[in-house]
Amino acid sequence: MTTSHTFIALLSAAAWFSIFIAAHITGWRAGFENARWLMITYTTCLLGSLLTVIGISAGAGSTGFDLLALAVTFLTGACLFVMYVPAVYTVLTSLSVQTMILLHRSSGGLSEGALYDRFAGRPVVEDRLATLVASGYLVAEGTRFRLTSRGRALARIFAFVKGFWRLGPGG
Amino acid sequence: MKAICLASATTVILLLLATLGFRFFPSRRRVRQMMMIYLACLLALIGVWSATPDDLGFLSRSLTTEPSWLDLPLALFFFSAAFFGGALQLYNLSDRGLSLRILIDVLEAPNESLDVPELMAVYGGGQGISGMYRKRIEGLIEEGFVCRAHDSIVLTAKGVNTAALFARIRHFLRLRPP
Repeated sequence: MTTSHTFIALLSAAAWFSIFIAAHITGWRAGFENARWLMITYTTCLLGSLLTVIGISAGAGSTGFDLLALAVTFLTGACLFVMYVPAVYTVLTSLSVQTMILLHRSSGGLSEGALYDRFAGRPVVEDRLATLVASGYLVAEGTRFRLTSRGRALARIFAFVKGFWRLGPGG
Repeated sequence: MKAICLASATTVILLLLATLGFRFFPSRRRVRQMMMIYLACLLALIGVWSATPDDLGFLSRSLTTEPSWLDLPLALFFFSAAFFGGALQLYNLSDRGLSLRILIDVLEAPNESLDVPELMAVYGGGQGISGMYRKRIEGLIEEGFVCRAHDSIVLTAKGVNTAALFARIRHFLRLRPP
């Protein structure tokens, strides 16, 4: 019985994750706000995968709470998610990727000055600040930007990691 | 459950080794340093998994995976996900995250407040926003996606293929071209 439950857990997590990717990409193409839609679809599909495993266990007449199957389902979904999200944000926000695409559209080459104007100029910074304000990490006060409590907490955590790992200023 | 226990323990060891590596053996190629640690930990995980009983000596019967061979692929998957989706991303965000660096620069500013010109000047602990982009260009050159030709940046063959792939993905997702 345990054998089938572990396989069912894996299959359930994989199937629901496929549904999550399809739903996420469909919503993305339809213009839904990415971060919120990502979390809504993921949470829904994670719950779906857990309920599937519980339902199948109950239907098979299992009397005990199958902790192993639930743990495998949850972790498999979570592991797939943490590998999917960086890929999403690479496509969405990576300046390196955008640089290569711009070069590709410009017959393969551009002057360094033109690239710096496009990717190291004021619009890039303003665009990122607008995203941080919309996400609740910064608040605009006239022309100045100030941290919210949420932004301060995140900044402190990563400042600590940078210091602890001696990564230097980075960015 | 053996897979979960061993993958979790190996992830903790990997983070400790990465911390030791970053602090006491600084390298410009930190990703390669992390990859070496990951591979060493992966081999150690296989060794420990092979040398230990299915129940690790303390797990109840209901928490052992059957068939037992399924446990090793699960352990490798959980550990690899913890590395590629966890530890490596934590490093990438800490070292290269533009948004996070902006938040830290605001945190370090007097009165925790900056306007756009100030931010562009002090970004990255004083390197300025052009320093951020220089790092991206140097990274693309090091990885062989682009090269310098006089005062221009030119895609290599590898860069052309990669750019075409990402352009197709972004087009499919209806994202604005850069």
